[in-house]
Formats: sequence, structure tokens, C-alpha cells
Amino acid sequence: MEHVAHPPGVHPGPTTFIRKFIFSTDHKVIAKQFLFAGLVFLAVGGALAMMIRWQWAYPGTRVPVFGMLLHRSGGIITPATYQSIFTMHGLIMIFFAITPILIGAFGNFTIPLMIGAQDMAFPRLNMLSFWTFVVSLILIVTSFFVQLGTAAAGWTTYAPLSTTIGTPGPGQTLVVAAIFVTGAATIMGAINYVTTVIRLRAPGMTYMRMPLTVWGLWLTAILNVLFVPVLGAAALLLTLDRAFGTQFFIAGAAAINGGGDPILFQHLFWIFGHPEVYILILPAWGIISDVIPFFARKPAYWYKGSVFAMVSITILSAAVYGHHMFVTGMNPLLGKGFMTLTLIISVPAEILFLNWLHTLWKGSNRLTSPMLFALGTVFVFGLGGLTGLYLGTIATDLYLHDTMWVVGHFHLTMAAAAFLGSFCGIYFWFPKMFGRQMHEGLAKAHFWTSAVFITLVFCGQLLAGFAGQQRRLYDPYQYTFLTNLLSLNQWTSYFAFALGVSQFLFVINFIRSLVAGEKAEQNPWQIGTLEWTLCPSPPAHYNYAPIPTVYRGPHEFNNPELNKVLGRDWVGQAEELPPVVAPAGAKPAAGGAKS
Amino acid sequence: MKGSLKFIGSTVGLRACGPRQGLKLAVLAIMAHAPSTFAAVKPEVGFGLPRDVSQNGHLIDWLMNITHVFNIILFVIMCAWMAIAIFKYNQNHLAHYDHGSSKHSVTVALAISAVIFFVVDGNLFVNTISDLDKEFWNFDKVAADPRTVRLEINAHQWAWDARYAGPDGKFNTEDDVVTWNDIKVPLGTPIYVQLTSTDVIHSFYLPNFRVKMDAVPGQINRMWFQAKEPGEFDIGCAQHCGTHHYKMKAQLTVLPADEYKRWLELVSPTAKRAYDPDDKAAHWGWDWKEVY
Repeated sequence: MEHVAHPPGVHPGPTTFIRKFIFSTDHKVIAKQFLFAGLVFLAVGGALAMMIRWQWAYPGTRVPVFGMLLHRSGGIITPATYQSIFTMHGLIMIFFAITPILIGAFGNFTIPLMIGAQDMAFPRLNMLSFWTFVVSLILIVTSFFVQLGTAAAGWTTYAPLSTTIGTPGPGQTLVVAAIFVTGAATIMGAINYVTTVIRLRAPGMTYMRMPLTVWGLWLTAILNVLFVPVLGAAALLLTLDRAFGTQFFIAGAAAINGGGDPILFQHLFWIFGHPEVYILILPAWGIISDVIPFFARKPAYWYKGSVFAMVSITILSAAVYGHHMFVTGMNPLLGKGFMTLTLIISVPAEILFLNWLHTLWKGSNRLTSPMLFALGTVFVFGLGGLTGLYLGTIATDLYLHDTMWVVGHFHLTMAAAAFLGSFCGIYFWFPKMFGRQMHEGLAKAHFWTSAVFITLVFCGQLLAGFAGQQRRLYDPYQYTFLTNLLSLNQWTSYFAFALGVSQFLFVINFIRSLVAGEKAEQNPWQIGTLEWTLCPSPPAHYNYAPIPTVYRGPHEFNNPELNKVLGRDWVGQAEELPPVVAPAGAKPAAGGAKS
Repeated sequence: MKGSLKFIGSTVGLRACGPRQGLKLAVLAIMAHAPSTFAAVKPEVGFGLPRDVSQNGHLIDWLMNITHVFNIILFVIMCAWMAIAIFKYNQNHLAHYDHGSSKHSVTVALAISAVIFFVVDGNLFVNTISDLDKEFWNFDKVAADPRTVRLEINAHQWAWDARYAGPDGKFNTEDDVVTWNDIKVPLGTPIYVQLTSTDVIHSFYLPNFRVKMDAVPGQINRMWFQAKEPGEFDIGCAQHCGTHHYKMKAQLTVLPADEYKRWLELVSPTAKRAYDPDDKAAHWGWDWKEVY
């Protein structure tokens, strides 16, 4: 390597197009790559959702617009196609939309910038992570074009349905392989994030001075490192069952000799799968935990409480997974244990939630587009949390398990909250990422349509579930007890279509702003974190030269002493104050400014 | 309508029909010696819970409804809090400089969390444990009840086979009564079900009884229920089990005890005649599992 005249830790800036934009090791470029890939697949996953909603509103009729993709069946969704559609909707949204946006894009972009690092700890591993992810995308896309179509066993890929007994085509194998490969990409990224946060924090950037965004992303990375390998193991064993005739997960009359254990797969899947829920939502929690104080112009309420809450949820996340398996014939004592732990997790969740509400109280709340999306996230997450109580409790789960109630609940938490949280981040960091300002009016219109319709859609699903409708039914009205739900499901579908159409407000705004947005100032939101106070928009290749020294937490707003001296309501994390002011500024801030 | 049918001696399965159809069906029923096969499941009314026809489903309904009340209160507080914060403490209000980390603030936050936890979660916990121990997972009570009817169910793509022990009281013998997508049970009697699957995982779901249990290949699971009303009800599959998951539907017919007895006596001889010792696939039953 030819680094000569650079300070230690700094690599030379790339000069060729390929090294600069394609095989880049710059965390900011990789972040954009993940963002674009994630947004494209968000659109794919969304289109699949629209097709599911069409099927539930008008079962077995010709699908408008997307019908041309179903030319073999004359534009109609067949039962076989339907199961592939909902399977791929789930997998694409989770692994190829939310994960790349929230973790790939924001993790890469914000972690080094917010902790005062020049890049990730392992820039080349970072690049490898993205390009491994691209391999998994190729596998996923290929799976749509093979005989018998793509995967069809549900995103949970329960065995034995996901073995050749239930899904004999090569599409399912390709998708299982894609999950394995994308898992490898995730682990590479996660190792990078964990190490970067531990090793590359700027001087003075203590753990208790880190922005909560970084906390959320860091905890997510820890969960990824610990639990994605378990998913990898499950995917590998499943691949062996599918391709090499082993019987890890095949039992009963379907097994030729002896037989394995289908429930073993569920244990492996959910010991990953439940942390995965938090993997997806922790970055969003982190982002809104920062954005709310930023636009309330007030220090984050009980910062340490929020950190402890997120840490406890991270620890508990793997200990509650059994609540996905209450009706699998689980040992009653084990079931009750998992229920107890599940209910306990509501305590840190409440603390986190109360801290958001308390931060808003007596603030100077500015309803900018990131703030609106943050508030929307709080709202849908509140609904999602409350509706989860019924599922963490065994008695009520006996009825609601595997109904649309579950679908509504996890969409409110994982989908709606992660979706609105992602857009909160996109609108907030767009100026820093691309050096241009997004159109605020369009952003607000996007918020109101998205927030209203997404809530209506998932509340409609909750209602259908409460009335008993099972998940994943091609035609729910085959059941007499569900025939009366047709009108409810139709309305839910109309709201879903409106939600889909309203996303064009974002597409237009995004493209317009990329090409012709107003040039962004260095610190348009008037915020004290490192990336806004010390980096131009967009930041230079190495972010910081020299590396800054950090003096205080990220949410120092409206400190009466400092307001007088500085003439503004915020103070930078790395801003050195005149010696007369410093003690006064640091004194009352036991949790924020000094620790 | 009911009077005329009682005269014929079978009220079963005719609740959903108009008087004329009812009479026609009753006649057919006598001819076919299978009174209930013609009756259809009645659709539900409104968007709420399906009608509860079980002896213990009200426990689950109560727990869901009381949690709704708690949740609505919390939800309204959350909305009001956010609305006030946004409108009253808007950008013209000078933010109150507070890190919320004082002893007082922390105590308040912890106290609110504790109250919510002990009231809402505590209520769910206490009632669930009691409901499970006394009812839903109390298999000792069901096993000890002399009236209990035992059923073995085998799920497969995409149907439900049910097996009754027959006169000898033993499963997987030649006098077993085996039905297909059609389960008849007596009213007011505990029905103790053991179930498995031969291919993929299914889930035996009785929406009107508020219970479900997975049917897992290689494993025998159990559940029980008890009807408090006669009639016809949907049996659903709740676990995605392949292309025709949505059609894996069966009918549960709850018969008054004497009707049920008559039906069993009626079909038992047929069952014995239909038994084929060489058809191994048909002998999917197992010795009843008393100990778990």
C-alpha cells in the first residue's frame, strides 16, 4: 500500500471512478450504496405487499398494474404464486430493505462521523460486506426466474415445509442460500461497527457522551454478531436437508429413517429471530432518541436511562424468543418462563418510551420533517407495543397466535416504526450525505400520508386478527366465520394502496433533491453533534483532520448560562468554551454534559 | 321450525337453514343416516370476536377486553401528552433545561413504569397462570373426568383426519371410527385431543373456542376444549402449510350427548367393515399417551 504522507490511520483518497464510487472503502460511499440498494428493494417489497392486499380485497381477480408480471396465469395470483409473494415480501423487507437502510446505510454513515473517526476500523471489510450483500441480492433476484418459482415457505422458513417435502423447487434453495450469504455480509458489517465504536471514538467521546443513534446501532451490531451466526447455522442445516438428503428437521411419516426435529429449526430460527426484531428497531430507537431532543431543543431526558433501557432490551432479547412458540407443544413451565421474561421486557421499553415523552414535555418543539417522522415512530411504536402484550401472554396468545393480530402487531413495531424511523433518518441526514437540502413541504406531505395510512393499514390487520382471521390465507373467505370480514379487508387494502401511492412523494423529492436540491449549509438543523458542527456538507474524504476532542454529550440545548454567552441555544460536542463558562455549562448536566 | 324438527327427532345441523330447507334436510338426514353432514356453519356478525361457544373461552375474552381497557387509557394519555407537548410547548416556548437525571426525575420515570408493569402486565400474568393451570393446560382434570371424549387427529396437506377409539376404547385398532374434515363431539363434555402431522407443521385452530395447537410431525401435542352450545363451527389451519393452506378447513359439529352417542353407534359397524389390515397408511393412530 502506498500511504506515505498521511497521518497514521488515514489512507490516501481514491482517484479512479471505480475506487471512488464502486469498490469504495469510504464508509460514506458504502452508506449510500446500501441506501440505494435498500430503497430499491423497499419498493420491490412494497409492490409485493400491494399484490397481497389486492388478493385479500378481490380474491382471484386480475391484478391491475402488476398483473403483467403474472402473465402465465393471465394476471391472476394463483395460490402457489401467492405463497411466494408473501414469503418474499417478508424476506425482502427484513433482509434487503430495512437491514440495508437502517443498519447498512445509517450504521455506515453515522457511526464514524458521530464518534469522530476518520473511517470504519476495517474499511476493506466494510467494502467486502457490501459486495457480499450484492451477491445475496443476485441470488434473491435469480430465485424468481427458476422453475417452480421462488421461496414459498413463509419468511420464517419453518421446516419441514421449507425442505423438499413442502417446497421442492430450486427457488427455495437459492433463497436459503441468499439468507446465508446476506448473514455473512451482516456479520462483516457488525464486526466493523462493534470494533469501530470500541476503538475509534475521538478523545473525550466517552460511552455516556455518544449520540443515542450510535448506541442503538452499536447494540444492534452486537446482536448481529451474536445471533446472525445462529441463523447461518439453521440455513446451512436446512440447505443440507434440501440438497444432500440429511434429515435434521424432517420427522414423522415424511422422514425415511428415524427422523429429525422440526421444532429444532424453530428454536434456531427464533433465538435469532427475536433479537432480529430488536436488531431492526434499535437503530430506529437510537435515531429518534436523538432527533426528538434535537428538535425539542432540550437535552434528552434521562440519557442514561435510555442507554440502560436499550442495553437491558438487548440482553433480554434472546431470552424471550420462546413466545413465538407457545402453541408448538412447548413444555408448560418453559412457556411460563418465556412469558415472564417477555412481560419483563416491557419495563425497559416503558422507560425508553417515557424518556421520549418527557423530552417533548416543556420543550421548544419544532415540527420539521425529521421531527414529524420521529413523533410518528413513537406513535406507531406505542400502538405496536400495546398490542404485543396480548401475544406475550400465553392465554390470549392461544387465540391470537398466527392470526392477523400478530401481523398487525409486528408490522406496527418492525415495519411501521422501522419505516418511519428510516425516513426520519433519511430526511435528517440527507443534507450531510448529499450536500443538498430536501424539499420540506413534500417531506411533510410524505409524512402525513405515510403516517396516517400506515396506521390505518396495520390497525385494519389488527381488527381482522381479533375477529380470528389466520395469517397467510390466499382466500380468507373460504372460511364461513371470516366471510363478514371482506369489507374490512377491502378498506384496509384501499389504505394500503394509498400508502403505496403516497411514496411517490418521497421518490420525487429524493430524486429532485439529489439533482437540483438547494445546497445545504454545514449545520442546517443547528445541532451540536460532531458531523454537523465540524464537517462540511458533504464531509471530506477523511471526515476529521485533525481528530476532534469531545467535551460534552450530544444534546446540550438551551442551557441558560450558555445561551447568554453564545447567543444560540446549542453548543457543539467538541466546542471549547472560555474557562469562565465551562464549569457553569458542565455543572447541572450530570447525565449529559459531563460524565 | 324447531318444534317440527324435534318431532322428527333431530335438531342437529338444521339451525342454519330456513324452515323449508330444514324439512328437506331432515328427510334427507333420515335417508342417509347422517344427520349433520348437511348443516352449514353460520357466518359471524360484525367485526368483533367470533361467538364464544366454549366452556372456558370467556376467560380469554375477559383478559383481552380488560387489557383493551388498560391499553386505551395508556394510548389516550400518550396521544394527549404528545398533542399538548406539540401545541403548547411549540417553538415559541423556551425549552426547559433539564437532563431528567435528578433523583426526583428518575424516581418518577421508574414509578410510572412500575405502575404500568404491575397493573397491566401483572394482571395478564396472574390471570394467564391461573387460566392455564385451572383450564387450558389442566390435562389432569380432563384425564380424570369419566365423561371425557378422546380424539386423535392427524393433520396432513390439506385435511384433518380424526380418530375415535370405538367400542373397545383403544386407539389404532380395527373398530376405530375415522373421519375426514368432519369432527363430531358431544355437548358439555371435555374433548381431549392429541394431534400430530405426517408431512409439515399445521395448527389446529378453533376460533369459536379460542384455542389452537400446532400439529407437528414426529411429535404428539395435546389440547382440550368443551362446547357449551350445539351447532356447526369452522376448524381452521393457522400455520402456513403450503399452497392450499387456505383450504385446510374442516367442520366441527357439536351434538347433544344422546345424538352423539347415536351417531357413534351408527358409524361404528361401518368403520369395522372398512378396516383394511394391509393399508398401513390408514393406521396412523397411536396408543393414547397418558403421561407427558
